[in-house]
Amino acid sequence: MKIAGEITVAAPRDAVFQALSDAPFFASCIEGVRDLKAIDATHFSAVLETRVAYLRFNFSANVEITGLSPPEEIKAKIEGTPLGIVGRLTAAATTRLIEAGGQTVIHYEIEATLTGKLGSMGQPVLMAKAKDMEKHFTERLLAAFAAGGPGVAS
Amino acid sequence: MAATTAPDGRAGHQVGRSLHRLEAREKVSGRAEYTHLMQLPGMLHAKIFRSTVAHGRIKSIDVSGAREVPGVYAVYTSEDVLKVIPDPYYGPAFHDQPILAVGKVHYIGEPVAVVLAADPHVAEHATQQIVAEYHELPAVFDEVEAAQNKTLVHEELRPAGTFADLKHLKGRRGTNIALDFRLRRGDVDKAFAAAAQVFEHTFRTQKVLHLALEPYASIADFRDDGVTIYSAAQGPSFVRTEIARLLRWPENRVRIKVPYLGGGYGGKLYIKMEALATAMSMLAHRPVKVALTMEEQFYTITKHPATLRIKSGIDKDGRIIARKCEVWWNGGAYADIGPRVTQKSGFTASGPYDIDNVAIDSYALYTNLTPAGALRGFGIPQLVWAYESHTDMIARALKRDPLEFRKQNLLRNGRPQATGTILKDAAIEKVLDRIADRLNWKQPVDHGTGTVRRGRGLAVALKAVISPTTSVAIVNISGDGSTTLYCGTVDMGQGSDTAMAQIVGEVLDMPAESVRIVPRDTDVTPYDMGTLGSRSLFHMGHAVRLAAEEARSKVAALRRELGEPDGSNAPLAELFLKKYGMQAGNIVGTGTYKPDYIPPDASGLTTNATPFWMVAGSGVEIEVDTETGHVRVTRLINVADVGKPINPKIVETQLSGASLMQLGFSMFEKMHIDGGQITNASLADYKIPGMHDVPRVMENETVDAIQENGPFGAKGVGELATFGVSPAIANAIDDAVGVRLTELPLTPEAVFRALRAKANKPLGRE
Amino acid sequence: MTPFDLVEPHSFEETIGLIEPDDPDVRVIAGGTALMLMMKAGVFRPRRLISMRKFASSLSGITATSSGELRIGAMTPLSALEHSPHVSRHAPVIVRTMRRLSNVRVRNVATIGGALAHADPHMDLPPVLIALGASVCVVGGAGERTIPVEDLLTGYYETALAKNELIAEVRIPAPAAARSAYCKVTTGSADDWPALGIAVTLAAGGATVKSARIAVSAATTKATRLTEAETALVGSTADDGTLKDVADIAAEEADILADGRGSASYKRELLRVYVVRAVRAAMQASGAP
Repeated sequence: MKIAGEITVAAPRDAVFQALSDAPFFASCIEGVRDLKAIDATHFSAVLETRVAYLRFNFSANVEITGLSPPEEIKAKIEGTPLGIVGRLTAAATTRLIEAGGQTVIHYEIEATLTGKLGSMGQPVLMAKAKDMEKHFTERLLAAFAAGGPGVAS
Repeated sequence: MAATTAPDGRAGHQVGRSLHRLEAREKVSGRAEYTHLMQLPGMLHAKIFRSTVAHGRIKSIDVSGAREVPGVYAVYTSEDVLKVIPDPYYGPAFHDQPILAVGKVHYIGEPVAVVLAADPHVAEHATQQIVAEYHELPAVFDEVEAAQNKTLVHEELRPAGTFADLKHLKGRRGTNIALDFRLRRGDVDKAFAAAAQVFEHTFRTQKVLHLALEPYASIADFRDDGVTIYSAAQGPSFVRTEIARLLRWPENRVRIKVPYLGGGYGGKLYIKMEALATAMSMLAHRPVKVALTMEEQFYTITKHPATLRIKSGIDKDGRIIARKCEVWWNGGAYADIGPRVTQKSGFTASGPYDIDNVAIDSYALYTNLTPAGALRGFGIPQLVWAYESHTDMIARALKRDPLEFRKQNLLRNGRPQATGTILKDAAIEKVLDRIADRLNWKQPVDHGTGTVRRGRGLAVALKAVISPTTSVAIVNISGDGSTTLYCGTVDMGQGSDTAMAQIVGEVLDMPAESVRIVPRDTDVTPYDMGTLGSRSLFHMGHAVRLAAEEARSKVAALRRELGEPDGSNAPLAELFLKKYGMQAGNIVGTGTYKPDYIPPDASGLTTNATPFWMVAGSGVEIEVDTETGHVRVTRLINVADVGKPINPKIVETQLSGASLMQLGFSMFEKMHIDGGQITNASLADYKIPGMHDVPRVMENETVDAIQENGPFGAKGVGELATFGVSPAIANAIDDAVGVRLTELPLTPEAVFRALRAKANKPLGRE
Repeated sequence: MTPFDLVEPHSFEETIGLIEPDDPDVRVIAGGTALMLMMKAGVFRPRRLISMRKFASSLSGITATSSGELRIGAMTPLSALEHSPHVSRHAPVIVRTMRRLSNVRVRNVATIGGALAHADPHMDLPPVLIALGASVCVVGGAGERTIPVEDLLTGYYETALAKNELIAEVRIPAPAAARSAYCKVTTGSADDWPALGIAVTLAAGGATVKSARIAVSAATTKATRLTEAETALVGSTADDGTLKDVADIAAEEADILADGRGSASYKRELLRVYVVRAVRAAMQASGAP
């Protein structure tokens, strides 16, 4: 599945880049991320807890920053395993930052594949969940910048 | 049992009776035996842990979590399998499929490890605790891309050696092509150069599933002196041979028992769960049952998706003088019977037309998807989809009536087919004419106005039966005159038991209802190549006829021996009583049938490609909702040449069943695949036709025909009505609204998009 | 499916007492047709199910008040709605909807309360009930409250119910000369889950639409009212020009998702077409089931 979109942030590009490449801040914008650990400068591990009503899907995830071109582009690879059910989540995310008259347009594209049981039968609900998470991410990101930037927010 | 005999003791003709299926009562009352429901004492259930990557090297498999689950008997991987079966690769054409993945995985859903437990729920829960790590490798999913050999599925090809035309592929590296069938007749290049017009189109078909309502199920009970396997299998003889080969045992230590099947459609051919069940029973020293869920069927075997390119050269009189067909078959990760599909369907890839110059290239390709095999038509429905769409497109471009254009170019009896084999007993024109008559073709169509538009379409097809194949049957008359038939044809709902009983009854002059068919058991029932490709009625029908005839001559000899006057009609029981002094003895007749066949030469040519030609077509009337793209088939006509029907009622239900199955494949069935993962692997999201999808009017008909070399003039029927359905509907859509779809399925969205594209208002992809 | 405990309390109160609000693996089960599918698929692995079966009869039944309001017990099976003279008289659209709602086996077992609490956006009844202006009477730890169905459904499988709240009754207000229609649009087999569901209830004075309720489902993550489209319709005579505007507004207003049953752009076109068809069908609805 492919998830793509744009978020416009009222902040200069350098600041936005700075924020997005800060793993703890980035993770704080995603609903359900906990236990973020930095393995080294480009590798992180975390647990992603997703809830859809009474259904819980927990993923243990490894994130690798595969490309960092300040202040324009961040590329990351995510590999996750759902806990207690056979499956695998892989995603490649590309984020591009475009200057737009003092504002910054964040253009993102995520190519994700979910395999195993959840991939077989859970796609409709998880797609809907992904849309929710996307909205949530945008809200938190915008809120952080509205509050004066991620430094203030975190 | 309502066995009827006339007062003179004669049963009369059994062939041609519209007898109800003999097992119908047993089935509708829930008493019929199915492997899926069977239990053996001490039996363990196996649940499978499957790959989550499409292509990868296995780094590790951690089964400790599964072993800790209370109630788990054992957890096994290929490491364990290799201890009992050192060369654990199987398959009918290639020995490429491992019982459990060895070193590498080749598709998402491939079996990697197995948990055994007395409680299937415990086993299932435990599989979720297994963790495997893979080193992911590049994967290829598209058949045309696979043909470029940039991403390789297997490092080396492993043909089984069973088929002569695959031997040259042994040990070949650097390729995904598991077979390239090539046919060259005349000189296509020259003919294209001479043609007045040349048309070329590309078509695609999607990945769809057999979806038998009884999923794959096998139980193996391994003992040191032999193994008994209870299995939902369409070809018990093949299973026996293959299990014996894997075990390096003589065949007589392997026993395959097959009860009724809850559907097969080609999926349950060759080996499916039998090898895994056997290996598990060997390791566990207990009977082991492998019974899949509906979801797991999506990871076992599917139909071949295909890309088909057809190019035709037409002369100034509208005759097709050249045709070039290129077909890429998406075979998935293991060959199964794909190479045979590639070759056998390749024979007729140019269609039921009389074309002097033909070139056919048909490629079986490995990809990183669930393996593909035979599915009701053995590749023919995909080909017909392409060539009968193509034929209509040419006719429309030439402003010719599609029926007349077909009739002008039709292949007729006595003329050589593309392989060079002379067409015989193939009522193509009769079938086409009957469809046209029923559609009232001469009258123009009222296409309607407003948002509902009407159209009609037809299609006709030709198939060569899989050859050469062998069937053996035994007829046994007991001391009281009652008769038993031993034959390996598996009744999976197609009514073969009833038809075979009718043949025995016809020869021995007894009511078909009185003939008992022994349940399939390789310890008892003799060899049969398999219940596949509409071959049984012809091949096994002949074997049964021969066996019954031998029994009949033995009865005649006994009558003579006992001094019965000529034309005596003394009951069989009296003969035995007279001979043995009591109710005792047997008369046993055997029959073996294998038709002649000449394999194709290097140019794909042969003078004997098939013992009989299969001919069928469909016609449809449809309505298109131009606002939404919804297509409603309001009338579906299927006409077939089955020779002389042995049981007209069963023939009719076979035609209607096959056409409805193909209706689902035509209109909406599709396995959605994302990064190699099937995303609609359940009956909630993968839908097959239900009662409300049956067209308002359905007509099934056979033409008046005789198959000269068939048993009582008959030939096979099972696949026939799948052939023409898809292109007939696409042709009707074109007729109704002037858009041409070249990819299956013909979903409302596909039609809608085509309508919008035609109106120059293309719909966004979002 | 993995083993689980099944408890069968004898009363509504006892059921609520058995709920463990902090453990989502303890779940109340009514008819169970949807939950069993999720359990067989392995997506939901409960630790304990609390079945309402033992006291289902006390929560079943359909009555009509003198004013014509329908009161339907939460445990009433869908087939009881299908065959109820009260429903046939006061909300015939429900009877018509039942004909293509799953199959008779499911309708005999599935309950109206379960159909709402499950909150799968593909279900047929929620949009119909929203269009009819129905509400649910909910009982739980905090006592009793009434929630309009449109507010009950908050997302895919998600509801506004607190963890210890259960639906006790569904109330459908008196029809007040309203006319309703439901269109179920499938893109697979005829018995597939819908790609789009659209329900409309209108009250007309002469040729003029006096009030309108339009709900969309299946193409969205929850059954949702299309209030802007309703506003555009009210006061008109549902003429072609107005309906075209209503279609455009609805297509703009609905938050449509792509899935295996169709792309978002295609489903938006389906909505455009079917909102018009549903309004027309409602205008012509005779009141016969």
